[in-house]
Amino acid sequence: MDVLLNDDEEMIRDGVRRFFTAECDTDRVRAIEDDEARTDPELWRQLAELGWLGLALPSIYGGSEVPFTQLTLLFEEAGRALAPVPLHPHMVAALTLAEAVQRDDCGTLAESLLSDACLGESLLTWAWNERLPNMGPEVVTLGAVADGNGWRLQGSKQMVEAFEIADYCLVAARTDASQTGDGGITLLLVEPGAVGISSNAQRTLAGDRQSEVRFDNVYVDGDALVGRVDAGWALARPMLERAMVLNCAMIVGATRRAAERAFDYARERVAFGHPIGSFQAIQHTCADMITWVDGAELLTREAAWHIAQGMDAALAAAAAKSFTNERCQMVLREANQIHGGYAQVYEFDQQLWYRRAAAWSMRLGTSAEHRRTVARALDLP
Amino acid sequence: MDFGFSVENEAFRAEVRAFITDNVSPEIVQEMKDGARGAGIGPLTRQLILKIGERGWIGMSWPKEYGGREADIIDQYIFEEELARARVPLNLGNFIEQAPAIMKAGTEAQKKYFLPRLVKGEVTFALGYSEPSGGTDLASLKTRAVEEGDGYVINGQKVFTTRAESSSHIYLMARTDPDAPKHKGISIFLVPMDTPGITVRPLWTLPGGRTNEVFLEDVRVPKDAMLGEKNGGWNIGASALNLGRAGARRYCIYVSPFEDLLKYLQTDDLGREIAKDPVTQDKVAKLYCEAQVARLFTMRSLSMVRRGQNPPYEISSEKIWGPEFQVRTTEAASQILGAYHQLWDGAGAPDDGNFPRQYVNAMVSTFGHGSTQVMRTAIARRGLDLPRE
Repeated sequence: MDVLLNDDEEMIRDGVRRFFTAECDTDRVRAIEDDEARTDPELWRQLAELGWLGLALPSIYGGSEVPFTQLTLLFEEAGRALAPVPLHPHMVAALTLAEAVQRDDCGTLAESLLSDACLGESLLTWAWNERLPNMGPEVVTLGAVADGNGWRLQGSKQMVEAFEIADYCLVAARTDASQTGDGGITLLLVEPGAVGISSNAQRTLAGDRQSEVRFDNVYVDGDALVGRVDAGWALARPMLERAMVLNCAMIVGATRRAAERAFDYARERVAFGHPIGSFQAIQHTCADMITWVDGAELLTREAAWHIAQGMDAALAAAAAKSFTNERCQMVLREANQIHGGYAQVYEFDQQLWYRRAAAWSMRLGTSAEHRRTVARALDLP
Repeated sequence: MDFGFSVENEAFRAEVRAFITDNVSPEIVQEMKDGARGAGIGPLTRQLILKIGERGWIGMSWPKEYGGREADIIDQYIFEEELARARVPLNLGNFIEQAPAIMKAGTEAQKKYFLPRLVKGEVTFALGYSEPSGGTDLASLKTRAVEEGDGYVINGQKVFTTRAESSSHIYLMARTDPDAPKHKGISIFLVPMDTPGITVRPLWTLPGGRTNEVFLEDVRVPKDAMLGEKNGGWNIGASALNLGRAGARRYCIYVSPFEDLLKYLQTDDLGREIAKDPVTQDKVAKLYCEAQVARLFTMRSLSMVRRGQNPPYEISSEKIWGPEFQVRTTEAASQILGAYHQLWDGAGAPDDGNFPRQYVNAMVSTFGHGSTQVMRTAIARRGLDLPRE
């Protein structure tokens, strides 16, 4: 037991932080908000060259196969830097393909994509959300009806990240319409340009790229199957848990940076003849901020450790996500309060961290839903 | 990052659990509870402490020459955690605070005298820090120790001196240089409680226990009663106090009301009925998440101590989060159980009247051993380097 970072983990964290500090300033973060693709292809290429897109993927596809805990550190740092690249959806999809292949449980397409995913030559994303804001299996209603060797998709997905610029999207569909829970779900790889697909970009709080995607009688070949027919939940559940933990890591990284900016500001900003950081009202707020973000970080890292150990991570991930969502928003709010009027000003950088970290905490299910998972795990009636 | 315990750690945990099952009878638990309520350490409890000492579990991470066995500090954590989990109300604070201070600052003679006796439970310390005029602002204490002949004469008053009535010694902070800046004129003395001039008066507390006032009137002690250098007491005390705020013992105090509430909702007929309410479930789940943060803060402090670091702010975070979580838990429990929560004893009282005791106990945690406000200031200054006024 030693919950601090070990030497390998510190090396990864420091290396990634050095890279983002040097390469990803706020001009770069801001630039994509005016850009149609809402991503920085040059930064993506750099991450691919450094091998970080394949960090936790199997070595036979060119990955480095590091434990999930180390991947979490990459996401903490990407969140800290507000890296304007679709790292999260790409990694969530790629890790799920890798797990399906490892279970020997999928069509041939998934395996053929993994090398390119490691190299950044294929961009992957995933589509889970539909009408309900929840994250449980009940949200999946997109119909998939068998047709020859494949399926026909009918329905829509919401808030799909980087959809139009992705090469493939891992879509959760309902192959058995008689079921509404975790049965009858199937994961399929879909090309965003396939016949019958249309999408609308959705403007978001974070200024990132998300879309509503409609599927109108879209044909998907049997080859594109990931996992087993009607048993997609077996892959989707760990997929969602990994997605939650990586999302928490980004929130924690960004929130810690927002807090550090507020501490810096409190040391420098003078009011009533003193730096405001010398006032106890500000000092005690800052003490709470570091305590809360540390708590979110520890819960997130513990959940990551559960995943890395191959243990059941449902409870740990739900605890991390519900706590991180709420406490990190509290930290961001206090960081804004310390900045006062500047927090609302577009040209002042603080808002960049605030909008993104807050928006990330609104994704991947609601805190109340995750607490239901916790309550179930605690055997409450 | 490794959040798991090793096979060896888990084997040790099993050993401690078996020991508790075999040796901690309901009679002993009752005697310890009565002891905490003012009856002092009873004969069964003394026997238990001796048995624990025989196993080498008290001060087990200490050097061998002082009675320890140089065991992994994690095993010590596990021992404290299991003891608290079994709700054995044994106070081991001396072994976490005073013993390390003696090891660090004591003379060879003091180490040889006190450490083996601490291990055997023959010596126990009451903490003589707070005074009527200041506890949080500890450094402004007024008790005076004046050099006279071959010793010191101590006059003054201490307050909130818990277990003064049952301890063999008081670990006393007194001013030895009234002209020095307030942090620099303080020394620590190890004084037997039976020294003439010491009077103890009980202060009965809301949880049903006792703390004390201690009056010191011309108390004469030899020079070798002083721990460490003259006027150097502040640094010894502050470091021990910081480490004393960490550890499984305190974490278990903070989370025990939650564990008791959860157990009641999971296992009691009425509890299970109450727990069907989705709003209650949401509240309990939220508290669960917060309890994990308390646990993880303790694990973080322990990881740092084990690496030889003295955590600059992390223990203060633990000492804010834990007690305030404890208070949130008991207040939530009071609204979950409603009028049942006020029942102190009797047939209808859930969990034998445990809940109202937990409720008033929680209050003590937020100011005991350093108020949460002082902790916040410490984080801001030591952890975040924010300026002083």
